[in-house]
Amino acid sequence: MHNHRHSLECILPEHMLEQIATKGSNAQKQMAMDNISVVYQLRAERAMRASLADLFAPTMPRAADGGKERIVYDVKRGTSLPGTAVRREGDPASADAAVNEAYDGSGVTYDLYKEVYGRNSINNNAMRLDSSVHYRTGYDNAFWDGKQMVYGDGDENLPAEDRLFNRFTIAIDIIGHELTHGVTQFEAKLVYSQQPGALNEHMSDVFGSLVKQYQSRQTAAEADWIIGAGLFTPNVNGVGIRTMKAPGSAYDDPVLGKDPQPAHMKEYVSTPSDNGGVHINSGIPNHAFYRAAMEIGGYAWEKAGMIWYVTLRDKLGENSNFQQCADFTHQTAGELFGSGSLEQQAVKNGWAGVGIAIGGETPEPKGCLEATLRFLGAA
Amino acid sequence: MDVERIKFERTGGFAGIRLAADFDVSDLPDDLSQTLRELLNALDFPELPARLTNSESVPDSFTYVITVEAGKWHHTVITGDAPENENMQELLELLNRLARKKIKKH
Repeated sequence: MHNHRHSLECILPEHMLEQIATKGSNAQKQMAMDNISVVYQLRAERAMRASLADLFAPTMPRAADGGKERIVYDVKRGTSLPGTAVRREGDPASADAAVNEAYDGSGVTYDLYKEVYGRNSINNNAMRLDSSVHYRTGYDNAFWDGKQMVYGDGDENLPAEDRLFNRFTIAIDIIGHELTHGVTQFEAKLVYSQQPGALNEHMSDVFGSLVKQYQSRQTAAEADWIIGAGLFTPNVNGVGIRTMKAPGSAYDDPVLGKDPQPAHMKEYVSTPSDNGGVHINSGIPNHAFYRAAMEIGGYAWEKAGMIWYVTLRDKLGENSNFQQCADFTHQTAGELFGSGSLEQQAVKNGWAGVGIAIGGETPEPKGCLEATLRFLGAA
Repeated sequence: MDVERIKFERTGGFAGIRLAADFDVSDLPDDLSQTLRELLNALDFPELPARLTNSESVPDSFTYVITVEAGKWHHTVITGDAPENENMQELLELLNRLARKKIKKH
């Protein structure tokens, strides 16, 4: 069954398997060997999927003038993507707020990547930015389907007093978040599971947040660092979906429960749900970025953002974990701003603040070791 | 299959907020339990594979886990949004609404 895949990666990290395969009892060795081959199978599968993605990459629609081209589609509450084109590049504003938000938000996201990081759209090859709004009814979500952004209207189908979510285009950082999933798909290709998946989410939150700060020309100190501010209706006790400043405190509500994000490795959540907690554990690197950006000061997209962007583009791979992300951002900061620079120091301090030492060995998330031993019959 | 209980869980999504409900079909209003039975029959639920769609490759998509119980028999299906399957879409929307109502009561 497919969902075993998610837990397998948590339960049986490869290095641990290798350790057991060399040092365990005979029975343990056999089990470890069996599972190592599964891990290798998964890796081969992923490599194949990644190369397929590369194969399809050239077919991505390209902007007519090789620069910025946006199209917003209306799915009219249906599911057939992309829907009817309702606003094209250069068209005047629509009467539909969701259409304008998708258009403007993808525009600012394009501008940040182009003006600050020298990247020409999602694939760095003028890929057209397609967005579909009004997806299904009562769809309280937004996602990146591998080719385009898709936005629901929240729970517009419920009576006003029961509604928890507004339309998902309402917060520009959600738009930057979805588009950044596209950038990650073309660069680091972080697997959407466990720590690589949480890093995938982290990158989307970082650049989503930077799009919002860039639009408002806010410094790190002026920014609220909230992801999805304005998405909740007044019925919810919360300021947004996540906060990079204080993960775990975005909402605490009788209906939705409490924001489950940790801000430190010692609170890392081991769970098979949500592809291994990709939207939960992203709180840890999110907070490291926030700390680094605050220490550097000024506009966060200029230095901290550049360090993270170059790391995403050039260093991270599909199976990278938090420790590697920390080490790579530290290395990149040294390359961009000098070894021992204030910027590099800030990156080091940022990660230290969430329990990750540069060049160190992040302790295995709690629960994983136990589960492994249980699985192998040793505990 | 005379369905008695349904367990429903939705995880993932941009917000990463879990939505779950566990209810007796007999507690539902007649029209709803009727619709539910019809949808499960139309889907031939007991014959569905344990994993319908792969949501791992779609960032921020939802993952749904539906368990249907009848006496000692039970079957669990994991699926993504399944936009190509109209009956599954209807079932997911109905279960979502029921889960939201259920939470509201507490």
